[in-house]
Amino acid sequence: MSGISNIKSHIQTFLKEIGELSYFTARFFKETFRKPFEFKEFLRQCYSMGNRSLVLVGITGFIIGLVLTLQTRPTLMEFGAVSWMPSMVGISLIREIGPMITALVCAGRIGSGIGAELGSMRVTEQIDAMEVSGTNPFKYLVVTRVLATTFMIPLLVIIGDAIGLYGSYLVEHLKGDVSFQLYFNQVFESLEFGDIIPATIKSFFFGLAIGLVGCFKGYYCGKGTAGVGRAANSAVVFTSLLLFIIDFIAVFAADIFYDL
Amino acid sequence: MNANSQKIRLGLFVIIGTLLFVLGIYLIGQKQNMFKRTFMISAEFQNVNGLQKGNNVRYSGINIGTVRAIEMVNDSIVKVEMNIQENIVKHIRKNAVATIGSDGLVGNMIINILPRDGMAGVIENGDMIKSFSKVEPDDLLSNLSVTIKNTEILTEDLLKITNAINNGQGTLATVLNDTVMSSDLKQTIKTLKEVSVNASNTLLEFNGLVKSIKTDDASILGLLLNDTVSGNKLKMILQTIETSSVKMENSVEKINTIIENVNTSDGAFNYVIKDTSLVNSLKSTLKNVNEGTDKFNQNMEALKHNFLTRGYFRKLNKEERKAKEN
Amino acid sequence: MIEKSNILPQEKEIVLEIKNLNKSFADNHVLKNFNMKLYKGENLVIMGKSGSGKSVMIKCLVGLIQADSGIISVMHKDITTLNQTALDILRSDIGFLFQGSALYDSMTVRENLEFPLRRHSSRFEKNMDTNTLVMEALENVGLAHAVDLMPAELSGGMQRRVALARTLILQPKIILYDEPTSGLDPITAKEIIILMQDIQKKYNTSSLIITHDVDCARAISDRMVLLIDGTNYAEGTYDTLSASTDPKVKAFFKH
Repeated sequence: MSGISNIKSHIQTFLKEIGELSYFTARFFKETFRKPFEFKEFLRQCYSMGNRSLVLVGITGFIIGLVLTLQTRPTLMEFGAVSWMPSMVGISLIREIGPMITALVCAGRIGSGIGAELGSMRVTEQIDAMEVSGTNPFKYLVVTRVLATTFMIPLLVIIGDAIGLYGSYLVEHLKGDVSFQLYFNQVFESLEFGDIIPATIKSFFFGLAIGLVGCFKGYYCGKGTAGVGRAANSAVVFTSLLLFIIDFIAVFAADIFYDL
Repeated sequence: MNANSQKIRLGLFVIIGTLLFVLGIYLIGQKQNMFKRTFMISAEFQNVNGLQKGNNVRYSGINIGTVRAIEMVNDSIVKVEMNIQENIVKHIRKNAVATIGSDGLVGNMIINILPRDGMAGVIENGDMIKSFSKVEPDDLLSNLSVTIKNTEILTEDLLKITNAINNGQGTLATVLNDTVMSSDLKQTIKTLKEVSVNASNTLLEFNGLVKSIKTDDASILGLLLNDTVSGNKLKMILQTIETSSVKMENSVEKINTIIENVNTSDGAFNYVIKDTSLVNSLKSTLKNVNEGTDKFNQNMEALKHNFLTRGYFRKLNKEERKAKEN
Repeated sequence: MIEKSNILPQEKEIVLEIKNLNKSFADNHVLKNFNMKLYKGENLVIMGKSGSGKSVMIKCLVGLIQADSGIISVMHKDITTLNQTALDILRSDIGFLFQGSALYDSMTVRENLEFPLRRHSSRFEKNMDTNTLVMEALENVGLAHAVDLMPAELSGGMQRRVALARTLILQPKIILYDEPTSGLDPITAKEIIILMQDIQKKYNTSSLIITHDVDCARAISDRMVLLIDGTNYAEGTYDTLSASTDPKVKAFFKH
């Protein structure tokens, strides 16, 4: 009996969370279009999320490009299809791996950061202090951060993709004597708008999810330092899960639109 | 100061990201000819072999455009619309022909636009150009060469026999009396018949192929097969092969009837022998066969030196030589 | 040592009034028909045990927590009926010193002080320099030298004083202190209390102080309200209450 009620309460908690997140999202959109816009804070957040994640995203992208190429090379060589490497790496990086890896890395770095920051602000009453001093903390803290992630993640994805492709090119260049021009010619030869546009749109949603979940968890953080830790942790876990769900939906939708 | 440098670095980051995105879009768009002024031309095919929207269009091996749309016009015709770069249009004439090929062994399908001899105006926007659907010419050719080889061997056999008859080394009677010889002859004639039917079928197919490009379109075939020999020559050869093989077939048919007659009707043998007209007829028939096979051989020789089978015969020679050496 | 107001509270204007305030979290009924009045220029101390709902009450006052029922009128306006804009305007008349100072740790002291000015600059003359305001507020708390430091670089007492300066920068008519001396050593706590008294004199503000610190209450209170079991259990000056024989009241003043 207790097992069943336990499951029931778990489901209830989950549904409540989804409901609250939906409400939070709706509020985000409502507040985004209400003046005044905290532009300075938005830029500050863009900087701290975009530029500060650049090195991390760059390194991950580079290694992914490198590893993808190194691992695929023997298989392609078996089929005498090494010349397909640029197309293969290009398509897989730009369509799927680039956005996903970048988003996951950023969920870890940015999402947990937002969760912890807002969480500690909530716990130390800084959010209350803002509210009392006449600044809407939702606009000041949440809207700016979510917008910043929404715009920065796609940029990070693009840069991550580019660096990943460069990593892949390096392997091809060292192992197969492929010139820079030839490599990127072949990459773009195989790419289509159907690859790059859905991936970019997807990245925007990734950014939105990272920002929203991070802010949500931080904004409604529980009491004390434990609450902050939980906020940061669950922000990452929930965001990562959400990223995969969004990815699935995006691929599904892109597939349908591609057929049209 | 600090806030300023933050802004500068953020600006740099945003600009780099945006530039990369725009560059990517541009490079892809360039490939799809989205940002160049383009011409639209179309062609109708019976089979597009899995061609897709966005596949490349090539002219003399250069990418000049992409496939814009593929649609069924009716149950057997597929219309393919292509975007062609404007700057290349002045080189394409109205009599150009579109074919569907593949880019490498496992590559994408492409449309090749092939220039042709003869004067024609420069293509205009919206024009429909002729198309040519490849019906596996390689298969056809190898099929034909095997048939031709068989025919060659058989006609040689037949020639021996007919020569023997003609030279009067024994009369037809002796030939026919000689059961070994007779059955030999019968067998040979039978095989020859089969072979010639075979050959003529293949040739028909081949001819149909050529005809499908209309009389003056023969050069396309030559072009397609990467050969300098003028297509007309090829066509003539093919026609002669066809006619000879038809003639041969007819003659063989006649011989068959005669032999059939000889064999079936008792006593008819004498009758047949005495019947000079029949003998003459038989003689002339065999002569025809002879001529036919002769011509056939000549044409075969021509074919041997021709593009299609050159490789094949060369290979055969090699193998023969090898066999001899061994 | 501390000058007490001689004017009777009843003759003064009421700036803040709570009637029958109720608030519960799930099954926990924190506030039950709580009543309270704050008169102009008065220092009212509300004492209660930890978890007795003091902080909840004070947050209800500025609309940070929605009360379940009851009337909260601030400067004769019922805050439960105000829209966001009107509430924001009203809030600029109320200073709130948070328990843990609540300084924005990503901003310097200057930015912390400038923050409330962003939305309420209309209160000041247009040519009023924010820098002058910031420096003036910091001088009031004796921390003008710390203007470019980050909150993390300050000691707890300094943080509290910066928070006080931030509260003062909008020149509020009412200041709400949520445990102003909590987490501070007795000497620093004393400094803060003296600062609070100076400010009260200088700007003639009305103050509502929430504390469980008896020393603080004795030093600063004109009047006290004891919050016990979610309601205003007892009221009076420090002297009358400390002399009370009620065991629940007595418990507060025992050392």
